[in-house]
Amino acid sequence: MRDLKHLIYFEDLLQEANNELVRKGKEDGNICLGYTCYFMPEVLLDLPGCFAVRLRAPRCTSPDCHYGRSLLERALEGGFNFIDAQLATETCTVTCRFQEHLEYMDDVINNATFKTSFTDVPFKKNENSIDHYRKQLKIKVLDFLANEFGVDTSDKAILKAIEINNEVNDIVTEIGNFRKLENPPITGYEFSVITLVSMVCPKYLIVDKLRETLEEIKKREPDDKPNFKIRVLLAGSENDDPDFIKLIESCGALVVADRHCYGSLEARQHINIEEGEDPLTAVARHYLLTSQCARFMEQQEMRHRKKVLADYAKEYKADGIIVESNKFCEYWSFERMIDTIVLPRDFGYPVCSIEKEYINTASGQLRTRFQAFVESVELKKIQEGK
Amino acid sequence: MKKPDLSKLKDVDFRKAARDFVYGKPHGERRLGDLYIPKTGLYKHREWRGIKDTMYYFNNIWLYNYGMIVRDLMVYGGGPKGAIQFLKGTWRYRWMGQTYLTVMHWFDRCLEGMRGETLKASAWHFRGITSACLYQITGFFNRDLNIGGDPALRAKTIGTDETVWGGIIYPYMDQGGYYLPTQMIPYFVTCHCNNHTVLNYIDAVQAYGLPGDPCPMCQAEAGIYIEDDVPDAYVAMVTTNEACDSSVGTSVIQDWMMNKPLFAMPQVMQFDDDSVLENCAKEIEMAWRFIEEQTGLEFHWDELVKHIELQNQQTRFEWEKWDVASNTSNYPINGVAQALYRIFYSQYGERPFWHEVDAKVRKIMEKCVEEDINTFPMTRHRVIAWSCAPLYYSAWCTWAYNCWGLNTIINMDSLMFDMEIRTDSYEDCLLDCAKYHEWAPMRRMAVGGLQHIFELWENMEKFNCDMVMMYDQLQCKGMQGVVGLFEDEFRARNIHAIWMPHALPDKRTVPRSEIRRIINDYMFTVMGEEPLDPSLLDFDDIDSW
Repeated sequence: MRDLKHLIYFEDLLQEANNELVRKGKEDGNICLGYTCYFMPEVLLDLPGCFAVRLRAPRCTSPDCHYGRSLLERALEGGFNFIDAQLATETCTVTCRFQEHLEYMDDVINNATFKTSFTDVPFKKNENSIDHYRKQLKIKVLDFLANEFGVDTSDKAILKAIEINNEVNDIVTEIGNFRKLENPPITGYEFSVITLVSMVCPKYLIVDKLRETLEEIKKREPDDKPNFKIRVLLAGSENDDPDFIKLIESCGALVVADRHCYGSLEARQHINIEEGEDPLTAVARHYLLTSQCARFMEQQEMRHRKKVLADYAKEYKADGIIVESNKFCEYWSFERMIDTIVLPRDFGYPVCSIEKEYINTASGQLRTRFQAFVESVELKKIQEGK
Repeated sequence: MKKPDLSKLKDVDFRKAARDFVYGKPHGERRLGDLYIPKTGLYKHREWRGIKDTMYYFNNIWLYNYGMIVRDLMVYGGGPKGAIQFLKGTWRYRWMGQTYLTVMHWFDRCLEGMRGETLKASAWHFRGITSACLYQITGFFNRDLNIGGDPALRAKTIGTDETVWGGIIYPYMDQGGYYLPTQMIPYFVTCHCNNHTVLNYIDAVQAYGLPGDPCPMCQAEAGIYIEDDVPDAYVAMVTTNEACDSSVGTSVIQDWMMNKPLFAMPQVMQFDDDSVLENCAKEIEMAWRFIEEQTGLEFHWDELVKHIELQNQQTRFEWEKWDVASNTSNYPINGVAQALYRIFYSQYGERPFWHEVDAKVRKIMEKCVEEDINTFPMTRHRVIAWSCAPLYYSAWCTWAYNCWGLNTIINMDSLMFDMEIRTDSYEDCLLDCAKYHEWAPMRRMAVGGLQHIFELWENMEKFNCDMVMMYDQLQCKGMQGVVGLFEDEFRARNIHAIWMPHALPDKRTVPRSEIRRIINDYMFTVMGEEPLDPSLLDFDDIDSW
């Protein structure tokens, strides 16, 4: 396949958190709002006069560093001085500790206007939870932005932000849908880069290039002979490292679906507003109900999310599922273990269970694991006559 | 035959020897470490505490508790049938036989070196804990379908995650409603009595693919389900996110392994925020409805009030104890007895045996105060223990007092649940119940927001402590995430803090001897002090219970 026109540009944008477009967004007079977790609705941080940046710590290769520590390390290095506020969610312990360091230590973020806010997120998806989540978003996000930064948080402003987000969501989803084809005109690596830039750049500055990329992919001719042996769904914990996906694909497994933190399958769904619903309730409902996070505790949810994975695998014609968890990620350590048992047993999907570092440094060992998985699935396919 | 060397007798101070025989050797001259059989941690013989205390220990603790264990078994178990169920359960469940038959050694370890009123009051706490354990063990076995238990009893029984407060069953107790924290007996108490038991469950869950880095407590809690070592004694389960992310993971494993109706009753983490209470209160109400649906029991408000009022009595007495501990040298309860009793009763909920123990302890404590008895006379430092404790070495504070004069006054987990619950109206009661749930162990301070972890400073002042034993649970993401901030604060405040690494139930990660070595090093090199009992500095107890 021919290289995507903007791929190198997109890759460059991922090399540092304070990238070219973020700087441009700030120069335009916008407030830059950092966040880490899907449960902090990106759309509310894209209200007029603001833009959301999902924080990453690219190239942080400290051997004892996982996600939260990498973020703190990058913050201590001055890598996040550009954010005007960090809006966190009480979702996993380590990112909470990251947030608390920012709150407690005045000198971590060297930005005079820097503020923090902490939102509680329910562990269930019932009406009580949606109501609670909505209240939290009102107090901890909207009121916070209005009081601290004078941001317009009216329904009209939220509707505008939803519109802008939906435009990006729809473009990325449409690009992602090409992965369902037998011979997709896009790789998992490329799609990961595209998804990530949509999360870490001001949307109004990146949307044109995303649209252009979509048009390019529509016309893009895939290689006649696919250079992958199997198709896989990647599920699991936080992964904002496209090189991890590149590594998987270099072993012969095309990543056709991405249900992990920083992946697209949840984060880039269209936000719908039901009839008679106010925009904030719609946002609360959307983010709570679309998430398949391992922290949801209702019995039906704990069981249902296995089926969701299997359904994604079927929809994207995956031959197997790679379930990854970052080392020290407690939610996904347990979830990965159960996935490894339940997905083959109840849904017939072979599973490769991987524990990884935040930034992929152990590539030799991982390569061996992926190669073995690809071979085993390939053999299975041959035996089944596919 | 060789003649005895009588010349040595010339050097013997018979008056002192007689005094030591009658009263026991004074602290500072004892060599308690010599009592151990090398490489076992087991005793060659029991400690001689003087005539009075040795007799008290033998009759009123050792013999009395054995007798009361049999009595509890018969009373709680409902007579001979209960005894048969007990035997069947002992045969069926690994944790039962392996752990609870060693219970008196647990008493010995934790009460080592104690004398007089301290010995008595601390032992009463252990009596309460033992009674509570038997209450639950018989509760399990009488209902357990795996060993022919009674289905009618099981039908009114709710299993819970051990961090769900026992008050959840209060409204139903007059109708036979029963609450079984499913991990408390099979896992939590085992670590204290016999630290070998739990290793099997940790290994079991790792054999299924769980990595070794999540909280080992949650690993073990999941492992007992993997091993099918939880009695089938309850009709449905209420679980929670207390205390941390791994607890949520445990709930997932529990659900897949036990396959019973399950209700999740999560509580918010940032509990200071009044805007979150309503959500938690509604979850509790939903949990009650779930219990009613599953058991057919009805919500009785008067029954709830009755038990909460009784529980409030316990809380108020705890505050009286803290007052004595803070402001006098007359507090007669050692660190381990205080910590385990407090966590057990406040988590498990109000039951008659706690009140019996409290009445006995009140009498002893009042005597100590009235007669101004210095209960820990060799105290060199008043210690506050912070963060989550090593379960396999809860007796470290007994050792630290005997060896170094480090007197553990209070610990973090004792300060959880530090509230009375209002009963003036349903609404107030419900909101307070929500708050109570949120102030659960390892949660109230450890992961409930940084500001609560730093309540250490005000509690140091309140309890008049001059040293911190900073537990360093190597796999606790919440506490590992604030190590640097604590170190900065310790330096800024010029506080002596000893970091005690451990892995909650898993002694293989940091053995008890390593914990002692770290304390020894700090006391020698930083504090420049000499041990009160050098025989305790180093001994090999890796294989002991």
